[in-house]
Amino acid sequence: MSIADTLGSALGLGSLGPLEDFLLSLVGAAFVGTFVLLNTAVAGPWAKRKITAAFTDRVAVNRVGPFGLLIIIADAVRMLSKELIIPDGADRPAFDLAPLVLVASALLGFAVVPMGNGIQLADPEVGLAFLFAVASIASIALVMAGYASNNKYSMLGGLRAVAQNVAYEIPLVVTAMSVVLFTGTLQTSQIVGAQAETLITIAGVSIPSWYAFVNPFAFVLFIVANMAEVGRNPFDVPEAPTEIVAGYQTEYSSVYFVLMYLGEFIHIFLGGAILATVFLGGPAGPVLPGFVWFTIKIWAFFLFTQWARSALPRVRIDQLIEIGWKGLLELSFVNLLLTAIIVGVIV
Amino acid sequence: MSNPWIAIGALGLVAVAIPFSMMAVSSLLRPRVPEQGKTTTYESGEVPTGTTRIRFNIQYYMVALLFLVFDIETVLIFPWTVIYRDAVSQPNIGIVPVLVPMLVFIGVLSVGLVWAWRNGAVRWIQSPGQGLTGARES
Repeated sequence: MSIADTLGSALGLGSLGPLEDFLLSLVGAAFVGTFVLLNTAVAGPWAKRKITAAFTDRVAVNRVGPFGLLIIIADAVRMLSKELIIPDGADRPAFDLAPLVLVASALLGFAVVPMGNGIQLADPEVGLAFLFAVASIASIALVMAGYASNNKYSMLGGLRAVAQNVAYEIPLVVTAMSVVLFTGTLQTSQIVGAQAETLITIAGVSIPSWYAFVNPFAFVLFIVANMAEVGRNPFDVPEAPTEIVAGYQTEYSSVYFVLMYLGEFIHIFLGGAILATVFLGGPAGPVLPGFVWFTIKIWAFFLFTQWARSALPRVRIDQLIEIGWKGLLELSFVNLLLTAIIVGVIV
Repeated sequence: MSNPWIAIGALGLVAVAIPFSMMAVSSLLRPRVPEQGKTTTYESGEVPTGTTRIRFNIQYYMVALLFLVFDIETVLIFPWTVIYRDAVSQPNIGIVPVLVPMLVFIGVLSVGLVWAWRNGAVRWIQSPGQGLTGARES
């Protein structure tokens, strides 16, 4: 069931024609877009500062509104009304397109994520493959931004971004494949559905067969690769503020800066959504409605990235490449083959 | 059932409309004060030296090449993972004919990876005498 189907049956429409389908989907898409933007709006200007402040024993934003929450609006107005400065020698179409591609690609990934309570925009058979394909378009945007800015720091940041995404893409996908071995399908709704079964019952409490419990080794591998894929500490080498200023986004100002930043945060939440869907039972959870659980899970991943940001030192670029190609890649293939053998034996 | 790709297309439209509307709002709000020197690229406050189109570390090219190999490999493994469980549970197939070809396939790739590893494709190049400084770029 997609949002369009749910809306269609609520409105009493029978089978949907292409135009009705499109219009109802547009409503659903607007809802999904708003939901994601709301999360990033709370996370970016407010929660990130508050969390970092709590780690470093400070107070952070507290002047505007209750708990400083109105800083979100204040910051939005402030950033959007800044002058847009295009650097000398910038490669114009690419420089303008990069923020657009970054935001659009990250948002598009949410199309196939089941959010609970029947909120899932689309449910194609190739759901999981689509999710990874769309999520990795971001590296193109980062290279475009880095190359087009005509700045040496941006160039280094863009190169590092692509080297990193390329190195961690394979472990990420291969680890997710070890879950597909269990489910036998790429359809996200069925992957979530397969995790609803009871794994084991301890003292009357039934533990669901979330793949984080079934295969904890894959879960850890996936989290590490996911952190690198969304470029968070300890893998924030492409931005590395103490080395290369701000990496690929050094020359971006005004609304372009907002979009680059927004794209990154949407990407973190998309990473959390993939993690929740593949390993944490999607929107499943006791008592509260599924949609609330989904929100809690993507925020849990966001909080985890922020904890890592405060707690872990950054790896060097050569260490990053070695961890990716010499460590995670081999481990992910070992995990895939071991899972295949286990699934083959127990079936 | 509705067509999922129509819904994805709808989200694609929304995903492009959001950044465009933000750009439109910003273009109404922001000032425009052209000034000499404002548009220089940032180089820690100094006048930029040289060009940005420089030669950079060959290592980036090596890992990109290696990535191509493994990316195509993942595309080939995906269908196998989807049919694996069904195929194994068929009474007249069993685990061996399903698993062994994939073991051979991944084995061949592992040999390739070992070769690349031993040739230093995934080792960051260090200039002689700079062993302690670690990462070298550009």
